[in-house]
Amino acid sequence: MPDVPEQHLIQRAQKGDQEAFAALVTEHQRYVYNLALRVLRNEEEALDLAQETFVRAWTALPNFRGQSQFRTWLYRIATNLCYNRLPNLRRSLNELGDDVIAGIPETSTAFGDPAHGLESRELRSYLHQAIDHLDENYRLLISLRYQNELSYEEIATMLNLPLGTVKTGLFRAREQLRRALESHQEPLWTIP
Amino acid sequence: MDNPLTPEKQNALIEDALHTYPVAPMPRAIRANVMARIQTIPATRPFRLTWNDLVLGIVLTVCIGALWFSLNSLPPLIVAQIRQESILLYQQFIVNARWLIPAFSFGLAAFFAALTLPYLKQELMK
Repeated sequence: MPDVPEQHLIQRAQKGDQEAFAALVTEHQRYVYNLALRVLRNEEEALDLAQETFVRAWTALPNFRGQSQFRTWLYRIATNLCYNRLPNLRRSLNELGDDVIAGIPETSTAFGDPAHGLESRELRSYLHQAIDHLDENYRLLISLRYQNELSYEEIATMLNLPLGTVKTGLFRAREQLRRALESHQEPLWTIP
Repeated sequence: MDNPLTPEKQNALIEDALHTYPVAPMPRAIRANVMARIQTIPATRPFRLTWNDLVLGIVLTVCIGALWFSLNSLPPLIVAQIRQESILLYQQFIVNARWLIPAFSFGLAAFFAALTLPYLKQELMK
C-alpha cells in the first residue's frame, strides 16, 4: 500500500481495516523486531515478541489517540513485553540514576567517518560486538537512540524514566565501550 | 608503540560504532502470522445499555430520591429520632452481635459477585 500517509492507515486500522493494519505491520516490523533482538539476543524470541507487539497493538489500537508517534507507541508495547520476559530490565533501568548528566551532548559533534582505514573498520566491528555484550538496559537505550532514532526526550517519555537517567545510561554505555576499546588496544601497546 | 587512540579518536570511533550499529535483517516476515492471529481475536464488544442496567438505574434513582424526599419532608425532630434510633441499633449490633456486620458485608459482596455468574458462564460457553 504505497504512498498512503501513515495517519490515514492508522485511522483505517482503528476502524477495523485489517489491510491497513497489515501495511503498518510491514512498515514497522523490522524496527520492532530489531529492538526485541537487541534486548533479548535471541532471534526466535525476538520474532515472537515482535508478533505479540503487533497483536497487542491491534487490540489496543482503538485507544491510540495519537499523543505520541505510532512507532513510539509500538516501541513502548515492545518494551513492556521485554520487561515481562526480563524481570530485571525495569529495575536495572531505574537503578541507573541521573548523576552523570553534565556535558552530555544530544549528538556528538566529533562524529565523522573515522572508520576509513582497515584498522578502524576492525575497531568498528569490535565495538559492534562490544555493544552486543553490554547489559540489557544499555542495549535497549542504544537501540532506541541510535537504531530507532528517538530523541532523549522521547526515550524518557517512552520508558517513563527521568531525562537524566536516559542521558546517564547512554553516557555509561559509551564509557563501557571506551573501556572495551582500551582493553582491546592494550595488547598492541605492550608489544615491545 | 605509542597509543594511537587519543580520547577524541576514541569518542569518534564510539560514535561511529553507535551510528553504524546495524539494524538486523528479519529472518522472516511476521506480517502473515500477525494477520492470522488477529483474525482469531473477537471484535471488541460494543457498548450497549441492557434492560438490566436500565432497571437497576431506575430502582437506585427511585430509592435515593425517596430517601432524599423523606428526609426533607420529615419534621427535624423525627429525623433526629431516626438518627438516634439508628445509632442505638448499630451500637446494639456491635455489642450483642458483632458477627452480624461482617457477615452482612460479606453476604452482600457474595450477592454482587453471584450476579456476574450468568455473564461469566455465557463467556465460558462461547
